[in-house]
Amino acid sequence: MEVGFYITAGVTIISTLLVITRHNPVHALLYLIISLLSLAIIFFLLGAPFAALLEVIIYAGAIMVLFIFVVMLLNLGQQTAQQEKAWLKGKVWIGPAILSTILFGQLFYLLPVAQMQAEMPAVDAKVVAISLFKHYVIGVEMAAMLLMAGVVGAAHIGQHKKVVLHRFLREGEEQL
Amino acid sequence: MLSADDFLVLSPIILLAASSVVVMLLISLKLSHRMIQVCSLILFAVSFASLFFIQNLLPYYVEPLLVIDRFSVFIMGLIIFSGMVVSVFSYIYFEEKEESPKEYYVLLFLCTLGACILAISENFISLFLGLEILTVGLYALIAYLRGRHHNIEAGTKYLILAAFSSSFLLFGMALMYLQTGGMEFSSIASSLRKELELPPLFLTGFGMLLVGLGFKLAVVPFHMWTADVYQGAPTPVTAFIASASKAAVLAVLFRFLLQIDGFRFKLILLIIICIAVASMLIGNILSLQQRNVKRILAYSSIAHLGYLMVAFLPGNEMSIRAVSFYLTAYVITTLTAFGIMIVLSAKDDDAEDIESYRGLFWQRPELACILTASLLSLAGIPLTAGFVGKFYILASGVAAGFWVIALILVLSSVIGLYYYLRIITTMFSGTKPSVTTEARQHPFYYMLSLMVLSGLTILIVWFGVSPAGLMHFVNDFGLT
Repeated sequence: MEVGFYITAGVTIISTLLVITRHNPVHALLYLIISLLSLAIIFFLLGAPFAALLEVIIYAGAIMVLFIFVVMLLNLGQQTAQQEKAWLKGKVWIGPAILSTILFGQLFYLLPVAQMQAEMPAVDAKVVAISLFKHYVIGVEMAAMLLMAGVVGAAHIGQHKKVVLHRFLREGEEQL
Repeated sequence: MLSADDFLVLSPIILLAASSVVVMLLISLKLSHRMIQVCSLILFAVSFASLFFIQNLLPYYVEPLLVIDRFSVFIMGLIIFSGMVVSVFSYIYFEEKEESPKEYYVLLFLCTLGACILAISENFISLFLGLEILTVGLYALIAYLRGRHHNIEAGTKYLILAAFSSSFLLFGMALMYLQTGGMEFSSIASSLRKELELPPLFLTGFGMLLVGLGFKLAVVPFHMWTADVYQGAPTPVTAFIASASKAAVLAVLFRFLLQIDGFRFKLILLIIICIAVASMLIGNILSLQQRNVKRILAYSSIAHLGYLMVAFLPGNEMSIRAVSFYLTAYVITTLTAFGIMIVLSAKDDDAEDIESYRGLFWQRPELACILTASLLSLAGIPLTAGFVGKFYILASGVAAGFWVIALILVLSSVIGLYYYLRIITTMFSGTKPSVTTEARQHPFYYMLSLMVLSGLTILIVWFGVSPAGLMHFVNDFGLT
């Protein structure tokens, strides 16, 4: 188990360093996914399988996919096709592939071992739910208000003003 | 589960949270700006009034996140009061601007809520959540007039620096949790009680916590953002940052330090002394050269936070009183000064240049007198609240034997006198009609703002002339 932790921690640090040194955002995001996945394994090793699951589902799954979509959508243009070809070159995915293979191998080693070990009580979904909605229910409410502040602020900063132009003007603008 | 008493004692917080939702619903009904402003004023008044109803239940613990004692109710009162005053001033300011000002009130309520949570938090979790509610609301408020470059620039600066300092704060909390095994201030205190020397891991964590909170307080060396953000933000938002957000963060830092009995450790004491001395001197010296009133007030707020850190040092009952008194004086005075700037602001010009105050006394004597009173109080001239506050800090510092720090405080206030007096002399010299005296478009709100400003001025003078009332009130405070 000790060895497993150090391998995973190493993978985390390497992939996170690669995140902040890549020039291309998509490459950086690929490494960020690896970093989050290895964090999930660290959570698993610490006896928190539920937190590990959430890490994979929410961060590596939902949020990162959203990121990648946004980044790809922002690059709309004529060069998009060539860019996508360039993104799929071998040296781009070989690094993340090696790191994730290490993590995958660990997973196969860890799963049977973890089931045999029972000295550490696992923090499962039930325990998390009880602590969130019983002891820290006010904290959950506060997090809700935090999200509301973020949403209202983003809605205000991002809202578009309707530009009302006469159609002649609009045509003239298009010709320009 | 929450009991009935929990709900009762948390009613100010719940009311603030509900107000933001109510205002959002009112916006969806497409009510006018005036209606929304009046409603938010009433809602602020209701949550302020609810503070008086929970007095008999104190002190009260809402395990494991919050503690509500007399000190925190007092700080909450200051915060909600400044939110209310800011919302009065906001009408005039935003009615003339191009953006729809309605979401502004939702965000103002949320920021006030975050600040109040900070004031009553007794746990790292609620500390962080409260701080983030406050900061996330402020990001949007600072960049509210998003068509203007200054606003966007200030908002981006604040966003990047605040996010960075939050990460410091989180890592510091994690390290302290690693050392002590608790997130509650009380359990951290009980784990530290056995230690004679500060464990290095805890010290590292505490340092990072100070980076995070020091950024929000804008004390030297984390003060770089202050002048730019103060200048770029809409003036009512600047007033809110300078008063409520500072008061909340200061209160939670003070509670943490007192609860873990941090002043027992020489190293923590040394760190606080260094920050205080640097803030007092650098804040006052940097504002000497400024020509922009907002920037002058920004640097002077750095110095004032330095004075408040000096009030921390004795770490006893006396310092709670000194902090409460000085904070009250500072919040009221700052609100007054920014209120005058808001009343003088035109559509495109925020009345920030010192030249726009030339000859103000000969055109608008009432505004000039109010601004003079508030600047004199900031400078600490006798017969104002600022003087009594400074006297209180000096008395508590000298009683605990911090002679050198007290001398530095006096010295730096003398430096500060120069730039406050410069604004005052500008107001009384010349007769150039620089402030356009057009007919006010919003006579009702103009009168209301003037009444609030006069009320605040009366408070400044009253606390300065007969401070016994507030002192008596403050004397009952003790952290439980």
